[in-house]
Amino acid sequence: MIEVRNLTKRYRDLAAIQDVSFDVKKGEILGFLGRNGAGKTTTMRILTGFLPATSGTAKVAGFDVFERPLEVKRRVGYLPEQPPLYLDMTAYGYLKFVAAIKGIPKAKLKGEIERVANLTAIGSVMDRVLANLSKGFRQRVGLAQALLGDPEVLILDEPTVGLDPIQVREFRDLVKTFAGKHTVILSTHILSEITATCQRVLIIRDGKVVACDDLAGLAQKHQEQKSLEEIFVKLAEN
Amino acid sequence: MRNALAIAKKELSIYFTTPTAYAVFCGMTFIAGMMFLAALGYFQRMSMQFLSFQQPQLLDHLNLTDMVVYPLLRNVGVIFLFMTPFLSMRLVADEKRSRTFELLMTSPLRPFEIMLGKYLAALGLMAAAVILLGLFPLIVSFFSASGTLMNAGTTSPVEWPTVFSGLAGLFLVGAAMMAVGMFVSSLTESVVVSALVTFVVLLVVWILNWQAGRMEGTARAVLDYLSMPTHLDAFARGAPALKDLVYFLSFMILGPFFTERAIEAHRWA
Repeated sequence: MIEVRNLTKRYRDLAAIQDVSFDVKKGEILGFLGRNGAGKTTTMRILTGFLPATSGTAKVAGFDVFERPLEVKRRVGYLPEQPPLYLDMTAYGYLKFVAAIKGIPKAKLKGEIERVANLTAIGSVMDRVLANLSKGFRQRVGLAQALLGDPEVLILDEPTVGLDPIQVREFRDLVKTFAGKHTVILSTHILSEITATCQRVLIIRDGKVVACDDLAGLAQKHQEQKSLEEIFVKLAEN
Repeated sequence: MRNALAIAKKELSIYFTTPTAYAVFCGMTFIAGMMFLAALGYFQRMSMQFLSFQQPQLLDHLNLTDMVVYPLLRNVGVIFLFMTPFLSMRLVADEKRSRTFELLMTSPLRPFEIMLGKYLAALGLMAAAVILLGLFPLIVSFFSASGTLMNAGTTSPVEWPTVFSGLAGLFLVGAAMMAVGMFVSSLTESVVVSALVTFVVLLVVWILNWQAGRMEGTARAVLDYLSMPTHLDAFARGAPALKDLVYFLSFMILGPFFTERAIEAHRWA
């Protein structure tokens, strides 16, 4: 579903990511790990067509993200690190706008908004102005936005930041239901989240891939480390 | 087109659910009202003077359109100069600052649609402004028709074709200014920089013909043509030529064109 080949992004002399290659199969949930500044957000931004790569290619559903941006964007739901909310709008007005620009037909609009509102449990705040919502609710409205239109691919950049423990658990349960239906890339710092939801893990350090394996394979390769945390510390620390 | 309309609707709903549009329109109508009263007072003094000369035929040369509405519409151009930067500043810059630009750029939208939606919203705002300003000629016509402004029969009523031409001219001025403002806004993340640069650019275009007086020949003609008041004046007088229309249309095409390029450029860097 997602093919990334030798992706490199340079900002002048600074290489944000170098020679990153990986695949995500259809229906798979990939946990994307790395320390702050390792290049997670940059990779995700390239995959969603927000940033161009300096070199290398990325394909989503067989479409090159740079050559055929619209085809890719139609298939990808994206939750950026900071949820892209219009703080002056109500939650409902905001989701209606996003549904419209995602090309969801008018007749299905209401039902679709209701569906994502139920999934993310924001039904109670639909008429409130986004500026007045707590961080957790804003995050969930951002997630609801990404789910609109039931996209094949979901790219979620630190989706559980700001959620309380119960919401985090709900979110994990939600993501687990995606397995098999959606292809998901999920970046996070919270390692327990990965073990709870993801089949495969991609760890990058300083813009380079240091591990890309399923959880069992990772444990086998690093037998002296007892937990994912220890493996992560070993791999991600310079 | 549906995408562009969705964006335009979103923009307008933000303008009208936040105080932005109301504050700007209030300021505009208040200042225009002061200008209107001043022009009206001047008209009254003149007609009194003419009456006291016992030369009623002179009164035929006095008319409300030329002495009240025409200067009013011309002066409102100056209000637009101050007003539009505040309306245009957030068009694109605010999307970048609040990170919603990332949403627009990762949604299945063409840069052209983003730009078009924003510009349509800008045109909607200017249309609203012009409709508000249309109330002033309406007041004039109401009172001149009922004869309360001065002796009935001696005033010519408001010449609506001239007034409409003037209002159309104002709309074009606003549309041209918004085109400049939108482009500037697409170049920066800061709404303050956006407003400031827009204002400076518009002011330069506005006062270009101040230099024309010192020049001769082609240079003078060019400066005159390039400055905006020349063309607003033609519309306000009720006699716009094709070149006046072309002048405004060039802003309205170039501004959106460059904005679209600026948005597309984000996909490349």
